[in-house]
Amino acid sequence: MGGLPANRTANGFAVDPENPKVMYVAMRDGLFKSTDAGEAWKPLGKELKNLAAVAVNPKRPGEVYVSTIDGIILKSSDGGRTWNRQQ
Amino acid sequence: MPTLHHTLVTLLITLALLSGVHSRLLAGQAAPKAGGGFEHVHALGMDAGGQTLYLGAHTGLFRSEDGGRSWQKASLASKHSHLDVMAIAPHPRDPRTIYVSTHEAGVFKSADGGRTWREVNTGLGGLDVHGLAIDPSAPDKLHVAVREKAEGVYRTADGGGKWVRVDDGPGGEVKVLTSVNIPTGMGGIFLYAGTAEGLQRNPDCF
Repeated sequence: MGGLPANRTANGFAVDPENPKVMYVAMRDGLFKSTDAGEAWKPLGKELKNLAAVAVNPKRPGEVYVSTIDGIILKSSDGGRTWNRQQ
Repeated sequence: MPTLHHTLVTLLITLALLSGVHSRLLAGQAAPKAGGGFEHVHALGMDAGGQTLYLGAHTGLFRSEDGGRSWQKASLASKHSHLDVMAIAPHPRDPRTIYVSTHEAGVFKSADGGRTWREVNTGLGGLDVHGLAIDPSAPDKLHVAVREKAEGVYRTADGGGKWVRVDDGPGGEVKVLTSVNIPTGMGGIFLYAGTAEGLQRNPDCF
């Protein structure tokens, strides 16, 4: 599980159903993505902080949603590279 | 006696002021709230059809049909005025079937796209359910992580008809539990748990 901040709470977790080795972890420190079932992780979107949850659209797995702990929703349509605030 | 020029200028200023007030009123109606108006979000999930986004929070369950721009509150059960929704597990193929778990009242299941819900708690030792995982290839099989009273991991093989305790569960408070369709080589798949001690994974063949 290299690349995830050590000893930090993993609040949210989501998987690409078409390729389950692609997965996301939501933390207070931000959003992290793995493409090898969790062996290595990379942070996504420096603007993402204080995250509570993450979801992948099963029909369009590049479409990813996150929520902050207080309910700000952001959406990515490119697997987490770029983000837009929804409200 | 005001000149025509003076009257026109006064009229234009009045119109401009009124227009400004009107714009501010419109902006006030359309302005996003600070945050989404939710208190302590726990979970997000999208239905199998890719249409409805569900959000679980300290203040209940919410659904959005427009990718999270606007939300409607879903009523889980009339006898509970307040439920803290901890986890959401949409069925991987049937967009009408959704499971959610709560801090106070266990697991709820909907078979009509979130309009009506029923409790599916037979066999659970406690009703503080923090994690809820649906098997992506065998969706009648689910695992939950129960906290506090009779804590541990419970499994159902019939869509919530009956739960059986199968394991003590991961160390640390479970925040999220997900079945991932990666074979373990031992006849099962992996359960990933987001916990207060980070991300952990375990084969689900307890």
